[in-house]
Amino acid sequence: MIYLDNGATSFHKPVQVRRAILDAMIRCANPGRGGYRAAMEAANEVFRCRETAGRMFGCTPEQVVFTSNCTHGLNIAIRTLVKPGANVVISGFEHNAVTRTLYGLGAVVHTAGRKLFDWDDTLREFDAALNTRPDAAVFTHVSNVFGYILPVAEMAGMCRARGIPFVVDAAQSAGCLPVSLEALGADFIAMPGHKGLLGPQGTGLLLCGREPEPLLTGGTGSESVRQEMPEFTPDRAEAGTLNVPGIAGLRAGMEYVEQVGTDRILSRESQCARRCAEELEKLGMQVFYGAHQAGTVSFRPGMDCEAAAQILSRRGIAVRAGLHCAPLAHESAGTLETGTVRVSFGHDASPRQLRMLAEAASKLPPR
Amino acid sequence: MNVYYITFRSVTFAQRGEEILRRGGISSVLQRTPRWMEEQGCGYCLRLRTDDVQTGAALLRGSRIPFRKIYLQQPEGNVEELAV
Repeated sequence: MIYLDNGATSFHKPVQVRRAILDAMIRCANPGRGGYRAAMEAANEVFRCRETAGRMFGCTPEQVVFTSNCTHGLNIAIRTLVKPGANVVISGFEHNAVTRTLYGLGAVVHTAGRKLFDWDDTLREFDAALNTRPDAAVFTHVSNVFGYILPVAEMAGMCRARGIPFVVDAAQSAGCLPVSLEALGADFIAMPGHKGLLGPQGTGLLLCGREPEPLLTGGTGSESVRQEMPEFTPDRAEAGTLNVPGIAGLRAGMEYVEQVGTDRILSRESQCARRCAEELEKLGMQVFYGAHQAGTVSFRPGMDCEAAAQILSRRGIAVRAGLHCAPLAHESAGTLETGTVRVSFGHDASPRQLRMLAEAASKLPPR
Repeated sequence: MNVYYITFRSVTFAQRGEEILRRGGISSVLQRTPRWMEEQGCGYCLRLRTDDVQTGAALLRGSRIPFRKIYLQQPEGNVEELAV
């Protein structure tokens, strides 16, 4: 199988990730609870992961909260900043993890910047929207559908200058682009552990620039007499037993990414994305490609996108078709009615993957 | 040398503290806090042998690692809280 659905999850994990998971299952009990060896081994494993994340993402270990995925982290972050009926500015490329959460809270949402690959439009519209003095802003770093890299440093600066709290969704950027809590000055940055960071499914990170409101309450192994949740991170947002094997695998994945280098990974992925776009255009597909693009490309063939993905699947190519849980992004790009076929490259992007994709895609009708 | 216990609100702060002290040349052992030392319930502490616990406390404060209390264990086994 040629796996090109890294936007959903990375599939070919480094072997050290598997080893770390197995090793943790053998060595580790419950972290932060007991004082015996297996409990302390677990606490040590968890702390190593916090340190690695802190080093990679510009924060201290205690600012790192473990979540079960990026959606979980976004829920904590958004529910901390956004009260029912609050005014919130978002980009035109947000995932349902953001929009459904805001909808559920009854937030008044202002969508700003809907032109693909157009930083001028994104910044101009975002700036204007912030002038309405919203209660918070939420924006993605990279569109999960189109690979559009948003100008998050500038957007963060606009929020900071106005004192507007903000959340960055780093679902598609963590592991291939620089992400720093300190540099962005964000209130929260949420990311999955299982995509670009190459950890197992069921892992995620929430970087906290302020104390989060708990989404779950329960045991933390600290301040057990009090019935309120502890007021400090990470305990405040980590009720219940942590996914220690997953966290061990995530740490191994992050160390692999550190070793290879995010710039090298991005270069490999975006080069493949560019060549992929060229090949698909030659085949007569409608390709969504432009400046500021990461390793993801969406296209439309001359047939139903789901049916096209099925044809590719039968030829051993794994891509994802449809709306990608991001109807807002499709609406922005004018593809809500049809959806797209999404090709998303990963850390192992290669010319062979491209060749195989182009060969299979040549069986699809042009648009 | 004296034996001291520095108590923390969470295992993460205790682990950070252990790392800061280690970098400052002070070795310590991370362990559960005896129940009577922690009025809020469960917690972790660092046990260290040193003649200069104030240097350790200053290192923690300098790195903004919040700790709760410092206890001195007397040679005969009694433990008393120190003013910090």
